[in-house]
Amino acid sequence: MPLILHDLPPLHWALAGLGIAGVTLALLFLANRRLGISTGFEDVCSLVLPFPYFKRGAVVSGREWRLPLLAGLVLGGFLSAALGGGWQPTWALGVFDQAIGWGPAAKVAWMFVGGLFIGFGTRLAGGCTSGHGIFGLANLELPSLVTTISFLGAGIVTSQIVYRVLFPMVGL
Amino acid sequence: MTRIYLILGIVFGFILSRSGAADYDFIQGMFLFTEFQLYGIIAVAVLVTAPGIWLIKRRGHTIFGQRLAIETKPFHRGNVAGGILFGIGWSIAGMCPGPMLVNIGEGKLYAIAALAGALVGAGLLGSLYPALQRPFALPPLKLGTGEG
Repeated sequence: MPLILHDLPPLHWALAGLGIAGVTLALLFLANRRLGISTGFEDVCSLVLPFPYFKRGAVVSGREWRLPLLAGLVLGGFLSAALGGGWQPTWALGVFDQAIGWGPAAKVAWMFVGGLFIGFGTRLAGGCTSGHGIFGLANLELPSLVTTISFLGAGIVTSQIVYRVLFPMVGL
Repeated sequence: MTRIYLILGIVFGFILSRSGAADYDFIQGMFLFTEFQLYGIIAVAVLVTAPGIWLIKRRGHTIFGQRLAIETKPFHRGNVAGGILFGIGWSIAGMCPGPMLVNIGEGKLYAIAALAGALVGAGLLGSLYPALQRPFALPPLKLGTGEG
């Protein structure tokens, strides 16, 4: 299956996994940091929201390194598109377009709701796919195993409901 | 150091973009059991990172001689409840936090709405933290739910 991005062929999963491991280990070995992206949401929140939760040490001291990392993620995506066929804004959403077929306004609402769950859920769980799923599991942390099972399980159930019950599509 | 973080972010972002981890169809394929790709990526990433962390911890210092200081994540009821909420969101949006930013960089406009939602969601969690602490047995406010 090609990527939505310019129908590019995906990297081999073993190569991609190896690359992600390399980045995770470099972050630890060079900079003494544990990989984790979702705390970055709090870093951004802390720039504008006055609640004591956003004044904690982990957030304030994390900003100086996590915000450049997050900026790098955006740049990496930009470079990938630019080098892989040219950067251009798009609304293309793969199977969503085929099975559900809603336009941009409904996509914005759909994505905003998804984002709400992601922002609230990751911060309640104390991490996301990177902090729990990769670093936490690799560091043999039990809370990370519990969290990873929870989010994978919930994702599986949700997608099954969306694409096998609510908007079933032949061939999926 | 800022440059190191930026470069690592770019490499990470490029890999996420080209591997399917930032691709709605591959995420649905993972949750619908029609694509092995994402399971393979996560498994290899964890299996290679694990011995790497073990080796770096055994050494006890970073390459620049700084003492290794990594906090482990606390256990609380938010792990399950938050994990479930996040999983629902991951399926709906087809992206987790890192890929959300990658998608924005790629030019996928809907990802901006996902990021806006995520920031509002994180803001809500932070503002409600004192009220959520008891029901979810969350750590003291100055620690939070865990860095990651």
